Amino acid sequence: MTATMVTDPVIDELIGICGPDNVFADRSSRVNRARVPAPFPVHRWAEHVPDVVVLPTTAEQISEVVKLANRYRIPVVPRAGGTGLTDGAVPLRQGIVVDVKLMNKILELDLDDRTVTVQPGINMLKLNEELQKHGVIYPDDPASYPCSLVGGRIGTSGWSLIGGRYGHTRDLVISFQIVLPTGELIWVGDGGGRKVRKSSTGYQLKHLFMGHQGTLGIVTEAVLELVPRPEAEFAAFFSYPDYETAWRSTGALAKSGLATLAGVVLFDEWKLAYLRRDDEAYIPQPDDVRCVVATAMYGTTDEVRPGAKRLLRIGKDTGGAYLGDEISQGDWASRHDRYATPLHGRLRDGQVVPMSWHCEDASINWTQLPAVREKWHDIVARLGDRFRIFDDWGMFAYTNGAFKPWGDYLTEIDVGIWEQELDDEAWDAWVTAKRDIAAVSIAHGGSISACHGACREGEVDLVPEELGGGWDVMKKVKRVLDPLNIMNPGKYLLDQAYEDGPS
Amino acid sequence: MSSTERAHDPVGGTEEEPAGGTDKEPDDEAGTAEFVQEWRNAAYNCYSSGHKFCREVCPVMQVTRNEVHTPTAFHANVVAMEKGLLSIADVARDYVHCTGCGACELRCPNTLFTGDFYRFRTRTVQLVKAARALAVDEGIHQPGWQRWVEATSRQKSEPVLGGEVPVSQEHVADWAAGLDLPIGGETILFCDCEGAFHRTSVPRAAAKILKAAGVEFGLMREQWCCGGPAAEMGYVERAKEFARHNVDDWRAVGARRIIVFDPHDYISFTEDYPSYFGDEYDFEIVLFVELLAELIRDGRLELTNPVDRVVTYHDACRLNKRKGIHAAPREVLRAVPGITFKDVDHVTQWSYCSGAGGGLPIERPDLTAEISRRRVEQAAALDVDTLVSACVWSERPLTEQGGKRADPIEVLDLLEIVALSAGLED
Repeated sequence: MTATMVTDPVIDELIGICGPDNVFADRSSRVNRARVPAPFPVHRWAEHVPDVVVLPTTAEQISEVVKLANRYRIPVVPRAGGTGLTDGAVPLRQGIVVDVKLMNKILELDLDDRTVTVQPGINMLKLNEELQKHGVIYPDDPASYPCSLVGGRIGTSGWSLIGGRYGHTRDLVISFQIVLPTGELIWVGDGGGRKVRKSSTGYQLKHLFMGHQGTLGIVTEAVLELVPRPEAEFAAFFSYPDYETAWRSTGALAKSGLATLAGVVLFDEWKLAYLRRDDEAYIPQPDDVRCVVATAMYGTTDEVRPGAKRLLRIGKDTGGAYLGDEISQGDWASRHDRYATPLHGRLRDGQVVPMSWHCEDASINWTQLPAVREKWHDIVARLGDRFRIFDDWGMFAYTNGAFKPWGDYLTEIDVGIWEQELDDEAWDAWVTAKRDIAAVSIAHGGSISACHGACREGEVDLVPEELGGGWDVMKKVKRVLDPLNIMNPGKYLLDQAYEDGPS
Repeated sequence: MSSTERAHDPVGGTEEEPAGGTDKEPDDEAGTAEFVQEWRNAAYNCYSSGHKFCREVCPVMQVTRNEVHTPTAFHANVVAMEKGLLSIADVARDYVHCTGCGACELRCPNTLFTGDFYRFRTRTVQLVKAARALAVDEGIHQPGWQRWVEATSRQKSEPVLGGEVPVSQEHVADWAAGLDLPIGGETILFCDCEGAFHRTSVPRAAAKILKAAGVEFGLMREQWCCGGPAAEMGYVERAKEFARHNVDDWRAVGARRIIVFDPHDYISFTEDYPSYFGDEYDFEIVLFVELLAELIRDGRLELTNPVDRVVTYHDACRLNKRKGIHAAPREVLRAVPGITFKDVDHVTQWSYCSGAGGGLPIERPDLTAEISRRRVEQAAALDVDTLVSACVWSERPLTEQGGKRADPIEVLDLLEIVALSAGLED
């Protein structure tokens, strides 16, 4: 699949499928659907502009669009919120962008079997505005909670800030309907029942169709988990004089066995230094505060109140100083917004410049965190030595397990990039740094990505190494399900699946 | 779900004719370069983030679900123009899709978290106005807006549709018939076009309230449109002509203080006029609802007649989101005896709008109707019989949608309610 042929007859057919109001070929519609917040080569924006955009309103329309794309061999790129931190929704070979935002309805609320059935274009905050009237919520809570959409959460297999208590996207999506790369509509879940959480019938296909970054289809409907709206919330922030103490305390808190513990977050010294330097929302702390650990609990009052006492004791016993109610409650709530905070950075001479925030994420086991942290900061420091446009904004480590917040951590390093000054040489150095960061994760027994996806330039080169024999299976699956390489071609090195000619 | 708009005929990735009519070649690159230079850093601040927290609070985006109608796109377009990927002709029509409500600015992380540190805040509303002005400068006109502004220039007031009185200078003060109001004086009551020609009960209530409270005031000798709508539609020079006239008229009668009840006028007089006239502009601008709260608080206006209604309050966008004014209208409503007030907090209302602002009803009446319908539904969910607004422009589309319901919801202006309670109704 190389040349794209989106001609007037193709557009006429798309209009026939989606209706005249929902097909857009004007420049603005296309240019504005070329990127996501992931590191984006702004100087090469033009290469990613799709040929045409459709906003379908039904699963059947999407199915027909994909069948048409197969007939004409035109790439299809699914797009939900376009808020991803890897480039799943960025077209690599133009083609048709299938934007699902118009499909944002709640189809069924089942308070008895505790499910809500939605279309993929709905946002979690908007969904919860409706659900909370009934005393329930859908607890998928990424940093992009106010803007990301359910379809994209499934396509990336997202991570939730409170996953240690409620699970992550893959645990919260019970089943879904998906248009396969050849256009057929199927339902996948645990077994066949749409509201069944656990089944051992057949292969576990639900996981196969999550986190594929749009390379295996487009979700058109999903059945989601409902949980009681938490009666009580407790947040605690602790400060530490050094990383070693904070890291050990993080492990102790995460392994406490407190069932209401939703997450533990470790801020390293670089992160604290960055917040001190440039974050308006940072509440000043004494200089000997070098690291911070944040925790949060959710549940019934009967569980959370005594649990909180235990949590505070563990924090203090392991060297933490409680930062007080005001900071704990306020800062925890604003964690959602920290996602988009660092919009400016500094050159090494202290000059403030507009910088984009880029976040490299990995899954790293607790024992490996200190070593990975040193190596990652070294990589970014070397990058900054060569190019003034890069700025190290520090690291977070978040508990990564579902329902059991221990074991491995979503580990991220935040890097500011002055994109206005980006050129090919700096971009190539950045891509190399990303590859180096990924290599460290693999060398320490981790995984390249905990939640963003690993299909970006640089790190994607190491996916075969991380997956080993699984990579060969992945290619076979791709080729069987998408014989013409229609769905989001060029992503995840999956062109390799077709190297010995078309099937 | 209202249908989205297809900007123009799809032609498969080749260049298209720009939307709307053009009266000259859009090859005037100096204008674009100046616009890009002015907005490029603000645009990058958004582009760098790209996280779109603004999206689900945007009243237009909530309906169209189209990314080109988002504040993100409005900023990214500037970057794309700098890169030569887009021209103003490509995007002029997109910028129609904004009511100027300001919700996106409040929800923007740039405003929320870095504003104080960097002395920066996101100004999407101003960016949209600037892009619309650039389009007009380059000869790209939206037909409805062009007609509207031309008619306003001709008649000196907006061509308010379906008004109770014909729009012309001769009738601009007909609303005040029988009230025996003087012309001129230190304090002027400014009546906006929608109030003067359509919902005349609002200015009548305003005048009667002021008289009852013993506030001395007069009317202008010759009141023209405030110019705000022309400015919002991109016709800045026209807007300045209106502004010049009004300011001259104020000076001619020795006015020092201008009272306005319409939030759109309030924006014009506190933001646009100072930018046009600089230090020369030294009038005190008083927002009616704030004065009203004070009059009631001080006992100068007594609300004695019970109003037997179950109401909720619609936060006027330009008060709540643009000016942070949400307490005074609530204070006034709570002072009305007999009323049951079911409030929705002003932050929740960041995502509410009537759809009546920013010229949207002229170019996209379908969207205004749908935005209003949703706003009325939100009120209906509270089991109220009345939706109270403090923005006369919002009241027309909201009234229309409220009346369409099987179980109708009446829309009243806050001043109309107060007039009822003070025994001042016509």
